[in-house]
Amino acid sequence: MMKNKRKILPYLLVSPYIIHFMLFVAFPVIFSIVLTFHKWNIIAPMEFTGFANYIRLFKDKTFLQSILNTLLFLIIHIPLQIVVALFLAEILNQKLKFKGFFRAAFFLPVIVSGVVVTILWQQLYGFDTGLLNRLLIKVGLAKIGWLTDPNIAMTSIAVMATWKNVGLYIVLFLVGLQTVPPHYYEAADLEGASKMQKFFKITLPMINPTIFMVVILSTIGGFSLFIEPYVMTGGGPLNSTISAVLYIYKQGFFYYHMGYSATLGLFFALIILTVVFVQKKFVERDT
Amino acid sequence: MRKLLIKIFLLIVITVTLFSCSENNNYGNRVISYWSSNNSYEINYARFITNKWNEKNEIKVKSQPVPEGQSSEEVILAAVVGETTPDIYSNMWQGDVEAYAQAGILVPLDTLKGFMEFLYERCDSSVIEEIRSLDGHIYQIPWKINPIMQIYNEGIINELGLENAPATYSKFTEASQKFQKDSDGDGYVDKWFGYAEVQVTWWQRFFDFYPLYLAASGGASLVKGDKAVFNNKYAVDVFKFLRNLYAENYFSKERLSARQDPFLSSDIATRFTGPWEISHAENFKPDGFEYDFSPMPVPDNHSGPIYTYGDPKNIVIFKTCKYPETAWEFLKDILDDQGDLLLIEMTNQIPRRKNIFENPLYKNYFENNPKMRAFAKQADFVKGTDASPVLKEVFDLISQEYEACVVYGVKTPEQAVQDASDAVDLLFLK
Repeated sequence: MMKNKRKILPYLLVSPYIIHFMLFVAFPVIFSIVLTFHKWNIIAPMEFTGFANYIRLFKDKTFLQSILNTLLFLIIHIPLQIVVALFLAEILNQKLKFKGFFRAAFFLPVIVSGVVVTILWQQLYGFDTGLLNRLLIKVGLAKIGWLTDPNIAMTSIAVMATWKNVGLYIVLFLVGLQTVPPHYYEAADLEGASKMQKFFKITLPMINPTIFMVVILSTIGGFSLFIEPYVMTGGGPLNSTISAVLYIYKQGFFYYHMGYSATLGLFFALIILTVVFVQKKFVERDT
Repeated sequence: MRKLLIKIFLLIVITVTLFSCSENNNYGNRVISYWSSNNSYEINYARFITNKWNEKNEIKVKSQPVPEGQSSEEVILAAVVGETTPDIYSNMWQGDVEAYAQAGILVPLDTLKGFMEFLYERCDSSVIEEIRSLDGHIYQIPWKINPIMQIYNEGIINELGLENAPATYSKFTEASQKFQKDSDGDGYVDKWFGYAEVQVTWWQRFFDFYPLYLAASGGASLVKGDKAVFNNKYAVDVFKFLRNLYAENYFSKERLSARQDPFLSSDIATRFTGPWEISHAENFKPDGFEYDFSPMPVPDNHSGPIYTYGDPKNIVIFKTCKYPETAWEFLKDILDDQGDLLLIEMTNQIPRRKNIFENPLYKNYFENNPKMRAFAKQADFVKGTDASPVLKEVFDLISQEYEACVVYGVKTPEQAVQDASDAVDLLFLK
């Protein structure tokens, strides 16, 4: 009897996690894979369509554009995020008055709701009434279609996303900067190294693991770009800001193409997995 | 003793929970659930009509506003999936009905006794054909409409030397040119003749392309069966007309909706809108501001009546209803002459019935609400949407091409309409 209890107890202890995993991870994943072979609009019964959704995916120009848009966002957002976060972290790492205040101030946008931030920036970016264009006119420059020019809209979104998230990465970089042993700088001072030399020869190599972590986090965060284009532009103008996640969402919850949406989601998950895998290889090699 | 108390406590909790979960706690089991729209006027209206019914009928009707959600369409879909639909729903967008009908969750109303006779009494045959589903049955009762018309600032129109809002494309363009201004001298236009949302969202086309297309074409369809039928000169003309307005900056490409109402602040002279604009304008208009409504502008060579989009909201009975015949009796009660009078008086929404403007029963209402007269006259020439289970996609595809051609001018009108039509045809192939 006691022996049986001993056998059951470990299973009982892990069962909450297993049940949670089965219900909220395994089942949705398996169900969405099954969905990729079906046409289903929620209200009518599922209809088996074989590989039709996969064929459609490879012909879907808007999906391709949404992936390219997401990549463009990443190309602008990640370097900008790293440069700005590292620059501000470096300043905040110095002996500075009101350091605590500045650290909190830079972190504040991270905890503010994404929708609120997006609406705020929408007001800044307005063509006729936006603050940025009013400033441009004051200094004698032409107005810019921050959100209405297809060539600029994604950059505008990337800048806003950087402002929103930079606080988090400042904290990560601050942690990284504080792990650099001070005697390296002391030795460099003795050798007569300049500030720039110290930064490029000591700081950057020493915080390399942090930079890679920031790149991975930004990449994953960037791939899930949704709220900003959803609220600000709806994916326009001319689909120039439609992100892959927004497009998947639209297919699923706007048009109720559940099977096709699941197919897009699966394909996009594979892309993210590949990119993160490649990044991981780089991290392992460089650290 | 302690155990007994705990048992009694648990029993009370369970009993209270079960009773509070029961939907029909006030009326017993013989009850019909009715969801209305969730604006305050319609909530009051629904309460009034259900109370009236419940006073004299054994099977009761329990009304409640459609639960809050991003849109009532989403809430209804969630209810369908969760099998918690009401028996009657009175705010069904006509474009959604075909998909629900094909899913087999609506009662074919034409199978109910006396339904078709009632419908022919209430509506023109063209309306009946418009609401007929692809399988030949009728699943919806035309109930109310909010026709899209041109609202215009009378002061500005008079200043431009016009007596009424411009009725044709060339007059509209001419008036736009005269009105366009850079009032603060910063080198940028800040007074536009009109405004329409430039967002690509499919339903935004109900307020620009679609009513203009219906006006130009005399109420033509976008799709028929499994075929796009809008690749015609009317659609091209509408695209050309609007494209020119944006190209010349007579319409703003900027979203003006986030700031003070541009119509009431006279930053624009016209826009395409529905009767809901009246209560808004009356509440917020500045002193001396006068406005009126006129039909949608049409091509210069247009002849015949000017149609528009009616934004129809219809009534359906879900198959989960245990008493469809009684539900129909209830609906007949609220859809008769007096019921419609009550609707228009309590909600300021136009019932979709024949000759409403000529009907002496409604004369008093229109005398007391003169701004509604234009909508009542227009009510004879409105169209809803075509029967198609993929209507949102159809409008989305048109909207994509609209944005490319009309707003950004990267495609010719002919090419944009052709591409939209081809894309819709492809949609039906899938």
